[in-house]
Amino acid sequence: CQLSPLQRTLQASAVLRRVSDEQKEPLASSSQQQFDSHPTDHQPEQEPQGPRPSYTGQGGQESEDYESEEQLQHRILTAALEFVPEHGWTAEAIAEGAKTLGLSVAAAGMFHSDGSELILHFVSQCNTKLSELLEQEQKLVQLGKAEKKPTDQFLRDAVEARLRMLIPYIEKWPQALSILLLPHNIPSSLSLLTSMIDDIWHYAGDQSTDFNWYTRRAVLTGVYNTTELVMMQDSSPEFEDTWRFLENRIADAMNMGNTAHQVQSTGEAVLQGLMGAAVTVSN
Amino acid sequence: PAGGVSLRRCSTRVTLEGINKPVIDRIIRVDHAGEYGANRIYAGQMAVLGRSTVGPIIQQMWNQEKDHLKKFNELMVAYRVRPTVLLPFWNVAGFVLGAGSALLGKKGAMACTVAVEESISDHYNSQIRTLMEQDPEKYKELLQIIKQFRDDEREHHDIGLEHDAE
Repeated sequence: CQLSPLQRTLQASAVLRRVSDEQKEPLASSSQQQFDSHPTDHQPEQEPQGPRPSYTGQGGQESEDYESEEQLQHRILTAALEFVPEHGWTAEAIAEGAKTLGLSVAAAGMFHSDGSELILHFVSQCNTKLSELLEQEQKLVQLGKAEKKPTDQFLRDAVEARLRMLIPYIEKWPQALSILLLPHNIPSSLSLLTSMIDDIWHYAGDQSTDFNWYTRRAVLTGVYNTTELVMMQDSSPEFEDTWRFLENRIADAMNMGNTAHQVQSTGEAVLQGLMGAAVTVSN
Repeated sequence: PAGGVSLRRCSTRVTLEGINKPVIDRIIRVDHAGEYGANRIYAGQMAVLGRSTVGPIIQQMWNQEKDHLKKFNELMVAYRVRPTVLLPFWNVAGFVLGAGSALLGKKGAMACTVAVEESISDHYNSQIRTLMEQDPEKYKELLQIIKQFRDDEREHHDIGLEHDAE
């Protein structure tokens, strides 16, 4: 069922109030454990929280460690990822995730029933992880602790690293892809895809300020998408077929630049030949 | 860039944290396109009037535009702004405008220069206003660059007037 933002906010606070009213003490310790056991799942922008946010009953005054609805949603979705291999990208997975945080399963009602937000959250999380990885790599190169990779190697490694993040969820990923292609999800999924590809090129050292900017990104997007599809159907050990496919596509992409050059030189040569012929004839 | 991850690149020393990215993006993209177009206009004029008496003057103004474009190329990379998708179009349209106006004679070329530089400096002025409204301190470097370029374009405009009146 689809809820308007207002209904969702009301439901969210009602859920939290109900749960915290029922179980104040045990909740503090269980959520603390939850916090400790998932340190890497938290979004970078979340500040560390102490005991469970508590709500006073009077006039909706909140305590100082009130978390925003968005932060709460992130926590629920992150917790839900654990249940995706079993339940798929569904409200069930979200409900299970909410349960591990000590919330009522009705918390899943905060989200769309088709699991879109869970998938988008996952994609966004993967993209952030990739950016951090590439940033660290760049730092190592700047500090002289690592060699700068040639472009094709860099692109290959970046795409492989990003695709490997899908491995734990590979069974259910085709389902996720089809949901991401639904019209109402396309703006978000497209924007996540383009910013990820832009990030990869940026760290690869792309400094183009002409139409090449678009060409490079379009080509890499094509490589990424096709490799992702190949990965869905790959049953080779350790996905070796996929990585070999990736290697070949990147090689093609690199050659494209050379081919374009050759075509241009050939075109110029032909033109010059024709001009020469025209001049000769006119004389 | 995803989320609140800050991007600090040692090579260009620009932090993207805390700036109004959509506004800066648009400013740099438009300015880059404008300087690119101006380059092509002067290229077109030179193609026709390169060997005339105004040749050297157009060449000088063109050289300044080339510097402007170079600066915006650097800013574009530093702020991670995407170039306009219409670049191929401006490539042709600019050249055609330059060559076309030059075919009308020296006065035509100068009139074209006056008109173009007038609107460019108006445009830079409104960008300066926008940035001043936002936060003059934060955008100090960018403001300096745009002010300098606005002055250069005004100079071109005046040169155009001078030669148009001859």
